[in-house]
Amino acid sequence: MNKTILKSASILLLLVGLLIIPRFVESPYALHMMILLFMSVAQGQSWNILGGYAGQHSVGHAAYFGVGAYTTMMLMHSKGIVPWVGVWAGMAAVIVVALIIGSICFRLRGPYFVLASIAVAEIMRLSAINLTPLTNGAEGILATEIPAFKIGATVVTDFVTKVPFYYIGLFLVLLTLGVTYWVQHSKLGYFFQAIREDQDAAHSLGINIALYKNIGLVISAVLTSLAGSFYGIYVGFVDPPTVLGLDVSVQIMLICIIGGMGTIWGPVLGSLILVPLSEALRSNMITDLLVKIGMVNAESKIGIFLKENLSHAHVLLYGILVVLVILFMPDGLMGFVKKLAARRKREAV
Amino acid sequence: MAVFLQSLISGILIGGVYALIGIGLTLIFGVMRVINFAHGDILMVGMYLTYMIFTLLGIDPFVSVLITFPLMFLFGGFLQKVFINRVLDALAQNQILLTIGLGLIMSNTVMLIFTSDYKILSTSYSSATIKVGGGVSVSTPLLISFLITAAITAALYWFLLKTDTGQAIRATAQDRDAAQLMGINVKRMSIIAFGLGSALAGTAGALISPTYYIFPQVGSVFTLKAFVITVLGGMGSVVGATLGGVLIGITESMSAVYISSGWKDVVVFVLFLLVLLFKPSGLMGKSRT
Repeated sequence: MNKTILKSASILLLLVGLLIIPRFVESPYALHMMILLFMSVAQGQSWNILGGYAGQHSVGHAAYFGVGAYTTMMLMHSKGIVPWVGVWAGMAAVIVVALIIGSICFRLRGPYFVLASIAVAEIMRLSAINLTPLTNGAEGILATEIPAFKIGATVVTDFVTKVPFYYIGLFLVLLTLGVTYWVQHSKLGYFFQAIREDQDAAHSLGINIALYKNIGLVISAVLTSLAGSFYGIYVGFVDPPTVLGLDVSVQIMLICIIGGMGTIWGPVLGSLILVPLSEALRSNMITDLLVKIGMVNAESKIGIFLKENLSHAHVLLYGILVVLVILFMPDGLMGFVKKLAARRKREAV
Repeated sequence: MAVFLQSLISGILIGGVYALIGIGLTLIFGVMRVINFAHGDILMVGMYLTYMIFTLLGIDPFVSVLITFPLMFLFGGFLQKVFINRVLDALAQNQILLTIGLGLIMSNTVMLIFTSDYKILSTSYSSATIKVGGGVSVSTPLLISFLITAAITAALYWFLLKTDTGQAIRATAQDRDAAQLMGINVKRMSIIAFGLGSALAGTAGALISPTYYIFPQVGSVFTLKAFVITVLGGMGSVVGATLGGVLIGITESMSAVYISSGWKDVVVFVLFLLVLLFKPSGLMGKSRT
């Protein structure tokens, strides 16, 4: 009993802390990092519902992320529709796309499902490149200005600073966490897990496999599209490779793999590792550190080489992490931690 | 009619190289039941190897296949022994993720070394053509690469059908446990199969390097193509992959001419989805129960 109170108290404390951070932190860079972190958690958590709980390892989530981002941006760019209306259009578009994809891909299992999900995402990416009148083709869509958010005549926020984005991001995290918690503790979640563990057994128990897989997909896709719309508005630019590329799908999946699939805190843990690491590489922090501690001379050939190239290497890091995690902790960090805890318990007894 | 013939011929020629890529993937899948998502990246490594041999030693890309093939074989064997071997009994998604990770490592290491600039390997015959008659002409490098592909494929068929090792590989693909009981060294066969698959992908990379841009991310295009080819032919079927490669080559060049070059890949993926839906066992695959 004491433990649950402690747990809820610490979660509440964390939430309050996150809510008041923008009051004290003014550095736009720190806020930017937090926003990236929120986006990553939201993406991972969305994938987790379908991949982690229902066991359908989609490698095509870029389709939903990209359709959400593109719909919002296209409506804002060509029709002048404000993003918080566009977001709903994005979600509606994604539901249509998800149901089409679901009806095709869920007839397939295992590796065939993975291949089909990739193929669908690739079709979306190629379509975005080729449907130039709608999507501006390979050049992408650039939004120079985001209209202010008004209710009636009062301006709620004008999106000039990063603070409104921070709160939207935090809201997305809470939303996806809440949905995941609900899924885990509802009948729906048990159906998902039954399908994940043994599809045929679940079917013989009377679970409508196709229906529940599609429900899982729609929930996951809608949440991913929200993250996509948020990305589009925050960055102000979308083009086919950055929101619809295979890399995007892989990165979304990685968050869960590294943290631990099918757990609530897995994607949070995965983001806490991936985002700072890749940002440290991207911003040349690691090279600067190496120079500072005197391991590398900044003017030497190696120093210049590192400075020029290490910033592109964050994907290399993803690759190395994935290989290490699969080989040494196939259940992700959460699984690894749980295993350690179980071993300690056993030894204590 | 000339346009039709022209696109048919160039489709068949490029299809030969595709077949090589597909055979490599299908061989690996057949023996180990592992879907190799790093296949295109292995091809990319082959391209850069060829590029380096060409710029440093001045050896013609079609000749350097003799060096690329054994080197890529060793590279593949190494990958199998160190990484793939450990996940042979793991869940399918873990195998897929591992190979995706390996592919990311390959493409990004190459990017660190060579930067992401597009490289062009220009030979004296890169844009040369041979007139066949009737208004139809054939690109010289494509024709040479097709002939080499055909020779390699023939040699591979001979190897798989006639030699002891080849038969052991086919036996392992048919039934891993039974093969082991018959005294076949299954682990060695897996290393050889992955080595061969990588060598074939690397060779395909070498063969297209005179006509294709060389850049670190080129692999993902070919990984996806390789899947389409092997699924179309039937996972694990070498004959199927050969046919599938040529079919995809023709489909691509036909849809580039008659639809538009921007949409040709979409046509290929739609075809892929249709095959997955209506005949997931592929053209030559046996339907598994």
